[in-house]
Amino acid sequence: MSNTNQPFSAKPPVVPNPESSHLTPDHEQHDSSQADWLDELEQKSKAKQQTFMNHIADRLQRPRIQEAPKHPFRGAPEIWQDFNWNEAEKIEKFTKHFTEVGGNVLRMQTLEEAGAFIAEQSRLLNAQYIVRQQLPETEALTLEARLPHVQISAWNSHTEEAWKARAAEADIGIVLADGAAAYTGTVMVTSSASQGRSVSLLPTVCIVLLPIERLQTRLGELLIPWDSKGRENLPAGIHFISGPSRSSDIENELTIGVHGPGIVYTLLIG
Amino acid sequence: MNPASSTRGTVKERADIALNDDFLRNAVRFTTDRLRSGKKVASTEHGNWEEWRERGRQIRLHTIAHLDYYLNLFVENARSNGVHVHFADNAVEATDIVMTIARQKEAQSVIKSKSMVSEEVHINQALELSGIEAIESDLGEYIIQLAGEGPSHIVIPAIHKNRYQIAELLSEDAGETLEPDTTILAGYVRRKLRQKFLEADIGMTGCNFAIAETGSMVLFENEGNARMVTTVPKTQITLMGMERIVPSWADLEVMATLLPRSATGQRLTMYMSGITGPKRTVDADGPEEMHIIIVDNGRSQQLGDPEFQELLNCIRCGACLNVCPVYRQIGGHSYGGTYSGPIGAVLTPALNKNVAEWDDIASASSLCGACYEACPVKIPLHDMLVSLRRRKVERGHGDKLEALGMRGFATLMANSKRFALAMRLGKIAQKPFVHNSGIHLKLGPLKGWNTYRVAPTLANHSFRDQWKELSAETAAQPKTIDPAVRQRMEQVLADRQHNKSTSRTGGESHE
Repeated sequence: MSNTNQPFSAKPPVVPNPESSHLTPDHEQHDSSQADWLDELEQKSKAKQQTFMNHIADRLQRPRIQEAPKHPFRGAPEIWQDFNWNEAEKIEKFTKHFTEVGGNVLRMQTLEEAGAFIAEQSRLLNAQYIVRQQLPETEALTLEARLPHVQISAWNSHTEEAWKARAAEADIGIVLADGAAAYTGTVMVTSSASQGRSVSLLPTVCIVLLPIERLQTRLGELLIPWDSKGRENLPAGIHFISGPSRSSDIENELTIGVHGPGIVYTLLIG
Repeated sequence: MNPASSTRGTVKERADIALNDDFLRNAVRFTTDRLRSGKKVASTEHGNWEEWRERGRQIRLHTIAHLDYYLNLFVENARSNGVHVHFADNAVEATDIVMTIARQKEAQSVIKSKSMVSEEVHINQALELSGIEAIESDLGEYIIQLAGEGPSHIVIPAIHKNRYQIAELLSEDAGETLEPDTTILAGYVRRKLRQKFLEADIGMTGCNFAIAETGSMVLFENEGNARMVTTVPKTQITLMGMERIVPSWADLEVMATLLPRSATGQRLTMYMSGITGPKRTVDADGPEEMHIIIVDNGRSQQLGDPEFQELLNCIRCGACLNVCPVYRQIGGHSYGGTYSGPIGAVLTPALNKNVAEWDDIASASSLCGACYEACPVKIPLHDMLVSLRRRKVERGHGDKLEALGMRGFATLMANSKRFALAMRLGKIAQKPFVHNSGIHLKLGPLKGWNTYRVAPTLANHSFRDQWKELSAETAAQPKTIDPAVRQRMEQVLADRQHNKSTSRTGGESHE
């Protein structure tokens, strides 16, 4: 379980590129021994697909529908589409909603300031391990320089590491939000080579960097763009996080941090 | 985990057991109150709730009416994303596919996040028979798995257990005594399951919604266990009811607005995850192999059935349970199936067509319509319950004594002389049984009623007896009504007609 405390300049971050092979799903990588039974299941599935769909059409007492039907009620009610808060309102509502469910929101002017805050929290919590997404923004926090005694790893910065284990042992995970919705108090994070899903999930504390221009009013503003992005350009994981992990399964009593992080910070940057 | 054990006997016998369990009744009532008021606050805060409900209903109606198109689109897109899609007509086929994958993977353990479909097809038993450990990772599900029970509420499965019972179960699991403190108990489960997540060969999930246009599957949860299940193990298997489809991410906004608010009163669950295919080659986490098993298991039988097709619109929020006066008294296990409450009372017999065993749970409802009022996609559950009862009688499975009684009642009521005679005879016949001006006799047709109540006696001087005098009295009074009253009534009538003509089609408010 060797951990690395690499200076951030050691390797350039892997920048996602839709043209490159990083979007190849893993199923194309199976060796031939596995392929046999999977192929067999695949053939069965394709044969069954037609009878399955025909049966549905039969039950609905009409022929199969092959063309996209008109969908007049697509998405939220029309009045909702024009609902927008100004920036001050968005910040106020996002903060209120995220805080109400047990999360923390802080406003920072710069990534520099965010870095200082995270370093201070790490010292307070006596953090030993930190894992961060491998991105220019998390690099600009300069945590490696601020916390020389903490083992800080940048996700997937080299291939031989057991990255899930790195995230599982981490005290703090640091991610960059791809967007946020004030109305529900939600941040959105996506997966890629440099942005592991585990970083926002396995550590005890999760810190989300949210550039202020990415804060929207409605959840729909985060969802609808995926419709036009093209299926093949969607990341494998799109995660919407609205606060700390919680459960009320035992006598309705709220418990925080059941499987995911119990402490969540969103740092509004800008 | 053997729901079969809880299905023994009739719904009445199971309810009798539940009614004698004070803790259960209080816990169910407390929890449903909390969820119900949470929903009320959240839907009021959101505003225009009726419009959103109507929109949710329209999207679900549209998708189900074109299910072959949208499901096929989903399948093609999911395949292009690298997902292995399978089809199962019934529970046996679904189990077979899971077992084939598990065997090929030489799986030792499967870690699961909450999935009602997996309860429906009893996947845990099948895995355990083959010596594969199946672990429920939702806190409540883990607890009831240790207790060997099924869920008693769609959203809060361990609603019927108190912290002492839970501490006992978890202490046994831990091999040490754990204090009955929520934080300690949840902390133990977190540590224990963290290890299980990292060791598990297969992660198994349900599916809240599947987006046809991009082949993505969406999960709503609060604990983070569904994220764990779809992130850590190398193989992911998703069991999905064939009706879980929505066309687009835009439509997901409507479902994401309705589901959490209706289920728990949250603006959104702590996590909502859209998973589009297995991990990409360069990703360092996420499943390497992803399977989605599309399950029919009785669902397609509802298609084309004008009385029950809307059942497939259900988004599994549990709001109908929380408002149901019957569920609140007897709890989930009394329904005997995977799904409880009003939705279970309709869904279980519908999915198990012609299984006489389920006939009695359609009677476990007062037909008050509170379920329809609460439903975020406006499923007329109370109408469906009436249809179920009617079909039961039409198939000749009705109560023979009841049918006889109804026929007698009809004969009696059809003729005023016959009715008058019967009343005169009744007044004489009841005499030996009247005590304190009530009938307490717990025999024959009076048994069911008089076990918990006292039947009233026939009046000595009935309304019909008094009618001659009364009609003379009213005839003597002026016939015109107070003009103020008249005006008010006319206004009410006009308002009602106006509302009717301006309201949108479908889903009139329930009056």
